[in-house]
Amino acid sequence: MSDFLIHVAAVSCLYGILALALNLQMGFSGLVNFGLIALFGCGSYGAAFAHLWGWPPLAGLALGLVLAALLGLFFARLGARMSEDYWGIATLSLAEIMRLVFTNEQALAGGAQGVSGLPVTFSTLAGQGAGLSRLALYAALLVAAFILCQRITRSGFGMALKMMREEPQLARALGYDLGRMRAIVMVISSLMAAVAGFLYAHYLSFVGPEQLMSHETFLIWSMVIIGGIANNWGVVAGAFLMQFALAYVPFVKDWLDLPTDFVAATRLVIVGGGILAFLIWRPKGLFPERIGGSHG
Amino acid sequence: MTRKTLLPAALLSATTLLVAPAAFADITLGAVIPLSGSNATPGEDQRRGIEIAVKEINDAGGVLGEPLKVIVEDSAGKPQTAIDAARKLVTVDQVPLVIGSYSSGITLPMGEYLVQEGIPHLNPASTSGLVRNIGDSSFSMVGLDNVSTEFAAKQVIANGWKNVAVLAVNNAFGQGVAQEFRKHLEAMGGTVKTSVLFTGGQPSYRRELQQLEATDPDAYVFTAYGTDAALIMQESFELGLQQDAPWYSILITMMNKDTAPEFKQGLTGMDVGYLGAGGEGYAATYEASYGETFLSAYGGYAHDAVLFAAKAIEMAGSTDKAALLAAIRTLGDEGFSGATGEIRLDANGQRMSQPYLKFKVEGNDLVQVD
Repeated sequence: MSDFLIHVAAVSCLYGILALALNLQMGFSGLVNFGLIALFGCGSYGAAFAHLWGWPPLAGLALGLVLAALLGLFFARLGARMSEDYWGIATLSLAEIMRLVFTNEQALAGGAQGVSGLPVTFSTLAGQGAGLSRLALYAALLVAAFILCQRITRSGFGMALKMMREEPQLARALGYDLGRMRAIVMVISSLMAAVAGFLYAHYLSFVGPEQLMSHETFLIWSMVIIGGIANNWGVVAGAFLMQFALAYVPFVKDWLDLPTDFVAATRLVIVGGGILAFLIWRPKGLFPERIGGSHG
Repeated sequence: MTRKTLLPAALLSATTLLVAPAAFADITLGAVIPLSGSNATPGEDQRRGIEIAVKEINDAGGVLGEPLKVIVEDSAGKPQTAIDAARKLVTVDQVPLVIGSYSSGITLPMGEYLVQEGIPHLNPASTSGLVRNIGDSSFSMVGLDNVSTEFAAKQVIANGWKNVAVLAVNNAFGQGVAQEFRKHLEAMGGTVKTSVLFTGGQPSYRRELQQLEATDPDAYVFTAYGTDAALIMQESFELGLQQDAPWYSILITMMNKDTAPEFKQGLTGMDVGYLGAGGEGYAATYEASYGETFLSAYGGYAHDAVLFAAKAIEMAGSTDKAALLAAIRTLGDEGFSGATGEIRLDANGQRMSQPYLKFKVEGNDLVQVD
């Protein structure tokens, strides 16, 4: 297997975890989160702080998870007081605030220059061993996240989440504590996003505020929309499809002997055009949601 | 279930087809530069520099008797895209050396990836002081911030401007310049009254400009990329800031092309010298090929990076990594003469001396002053 294929597959696994996290919030619970990247950032900056302060990497993971859980709870708590669309805007703002703080507080984590030189996971293994081991680790975590999401969405709790999404008044009337449900969903998916962020930081070996730009959130949105909202298989497929499409554009350029500018234009068309095309012609995505609970 | 399996299967077969390595007999190098996003103009300049260098080398018979080729990939101004591109170049195209990129926030993570792989990395433009620590197999063809800001601070003091206000773009490059400039200016007895960092791409910079004006400085010292700088100059003109105090630009060629002449009268500044002794030929070829003068100061460095790499491969006698790294170090010690002047590398693989030029604006053009 070529190194590049391993690389793209490994990154796709991490994006798959992010897409599952977003799907749990947006797809199943109707929580329109535009600030997912902030939760990812908790994980990556957890890794960065651990590196800066000389902690072992796993302590960075723990720190990232704690930060993400707290931020997730904060998101959920904000959601109790405002309607869905306002909440979406609030999450976007919070993610931007976080990015601006990390850009401007140069003493905190290097400001815009970021933190570089993080140890790369399994870098001591020889040859393709490192790449394959990373891919195996990420794939195992993706499978674990997938099973967790399937379990949740097929359980009674999952049905309650769908009810919260479709008929919040009815759910409330039936005695469901929507605030608590929202908090549980947010914490679970925040932890998933933070794990992806932590692994990504130790893969790229660099953490910087530019990774927290809002267009990163929309890339994950495109995976969920194209793959299929509220379908766990679909969003993972969407994540792989988008990552592979974006990563392989330069090969099309080499093949057809096109100028390098072609790559930039095509990537824009893939993300922007992809979202638009699916919203217009196939709003349920490649793999539509299966209605009817446990036999999906 | 069939649809579920069909897609991954199709994807897999498509990708295996795509990753089949291309069989090139030529010597192929890789470059990752911004061809889209806000730095697309200097990126294009770098691409032209590379193109000219490749032509020069091939006209002279190639490298080790083989034609030279440089595969150029777009960084899109994003670290993830740049690293994807570098990985493609290293693992699929199997290049022995990668040149790149433009901004420090991208060069740092990309360089670190290349260092992990043991692939020689030539930095043609990024000047953040952090570049020095990327690692053993990373080399800079350009002098870093600490050198350029010292030059700028000396000039500011020489002009009699003791109290200045600094405006810089809020990214890895701008933060580095603001910090280093303050350090040098204060060491020379000057004062930075305020350092304002602005976010690029805004529709207006009046708020930032008024913040600067409030400190009543002797001069405004700024550094900004193309289109942002054009707006800053226009608004500072409209607000009357240019009447109160002179403006001085660090790395003036980054912004000059984009700014209209009426908004930059009396502007002075400095930039990396993009032509050293023997660079006239490069300038002439550039103008003949593209029908205009340099788009930025950085094409020359990308050009020299290609020449430097080609010379190192000749010295090594092959594209073997270890031999190539040894040859780069030897060449860096001996010194190499490119379009940007003599390139000598210090123990960290960074360019030791770097020509800088003083400029003033005349109409739309930059004129060098002594």
